[in-house]
Amino acid sequence: MTLEELLALHAPPADAALSPQELVRFFWKYKGLVKERERANAYWSTTNDNLKHAYERLDEKEQELARANAIMQDDLQVGSQIQQALMPRDASALGAGFEVAVYHRQMTEVGGDYYDYYRVKDGSVATGVFDISGHGVSAALVMAWLKSQLAQAMGHSDSPAEILSQVNDVSYEFLREVKKYATVNFVVFGEGHLRYVCGGGFGLLLSGDQHTSFDKSQHFLGLRKKPYVEHSLPFKTGDVLALYTDGMVEAQDAEGRDYTVRRVNSLVEQHRDRPVQEIVDACVADYQAFRGRDSDDITLMVLRKVG
Amino acid sequence: MSVPPNDSLMISGIFLAGFAQSCVNLNIVAGQRATRLLANYEFGAWYPYGQFRELQVNFFEAYSNGAPILERVGIEMMRAWYHFGPGKDIVKTGVDFLHFQTGSQGYASVVKGPVHEVGSFVLEDVNSERGYARILSTTPFDRDMERGVLIGGMSAPGDLDFVDVTYDRASNCYIVEFH
Repeated sequence: MTLEELLALHAPPADAALSPQELVRFFWKYKGLVKERERANAYWSTTNDNLKHAYERLDEKEQELARANAIMQDDLQVGSQIQQALMPRDASALGAGFEVAVYHRQMTEVGGDYYDYYRVKDGSVATGVFDISGHGVSAALVMAWLKSQLAQAMGHSDSPAEILSQVNDVSYEFLREVKKYATVNFVVFGEGHLRYVCGGGFGLLLSGDQHTSFDKSQHFLGLRKKPYVEHSLPFKTGDVLALYTDGMVEAQDAEGRDYTVRRVNSLVEQHRDRPVQEIVDACVADYQAFRGRDSDDITLMVLRKVG
Repeated sequence: MSVPPNDSLMISGIFLAGFAQSCVNLNIVAGQRATRLLANYEFGAWYPYGQFRELQVNFFEAYSNGAPILERVGIEMMRAWYHFGPGKDIVKTGVDFLHFQTGSQGYASVVKGPVHEVGSFVLEDVNSERGYARILSTTPFDRDMERGVLIGGMSAPGDLDFVDVTYDRASNCYIVEFH
């Protein structure tokens, strides 16, 4: 009987015998298997040790990650509080001549949309709606930067084009450095008219029978170092102005269809005779019924001249 | 490493690819790192030996005892070479592998550069009857991995029941026992 024949059996027969030569082979096969087992034991023992160390390192990394996450959460919380402090609490800065309603919703703790009310050099009131690229604390810091630059510029001019050009001039290098930009709709209200600059924002003015889309879109803040051009339109008692950011029009339904500027404008027009809060509510209800999922911050401001 | 390598020492892409594939087979490297690693080496190209050293440091620094792992990598390289590469057509027995690996097609074909840095891998003695061989190695390779290469290469043809390789640091020799 050969060694292979013997080892192929389930159990050795009672009369099993190997030749001396086969016995030697059996000896070395056994020794070879023992040697292989020794190598395997050493390999798996080292692998097992390494796995244990890997788990320990993973635990340490998890703890580091948790600590870093807690710091980030704290930072976001502070960022959110800073952002809330930058936003107007109400529209009282515009005075009694306006009825105003705003829907402002952020995707994350700290968003990129910003709106505010101002008073320019000659005492006229103004409003601006901005969409800063990105989200998070960086967006809040850019927002703070823009707010301070706007405040300075408005002390020197009452022209929306001059104000925004100055803000853009002083912000251009900084915004490029931090890889940020902002869309803007900036409107200064005068007696019976308004002057505006549209740098990538969206807007609709309903003045009497005239419907004007803010489609004279110019460059975003921080993208080109180039002066802005302002436009003037009538704005009388009863007229309605809607300003909004792209989060609304770029929303998609479950089939991937866009919400569109036309749909927002059509809703504002359809409800133009209702109180501005109801106009905003109607737009938001329609948007919420339409959208498949939220994808961006949203700001919708509707104003009516009341006196 | 017996000789500190420098940039003039080169290692073949086919060796590095085999080493990389073995590390992936043994899950020493996994995931995207493995995918990147396997795409790194062209069979026909030559690479600075320093790249191979870096790979070893990166892969094995986490192990408190890398010797059994490096030995297994060497075994795995030769297993793959024999069963999935050209090995089966080149060597028919374990002893054939000793002659092959110490000849011009073996070690000498995967490392090139200044002679004193390339070193040598020389079969000084072999006795099939006694199951004994002695190989002088002055290569820059890790001795544990090289031992694995000998064990894997001699075991792969399947004609030997026992293979053991020990390294004598004083004489730079591997003592191979086989039956």
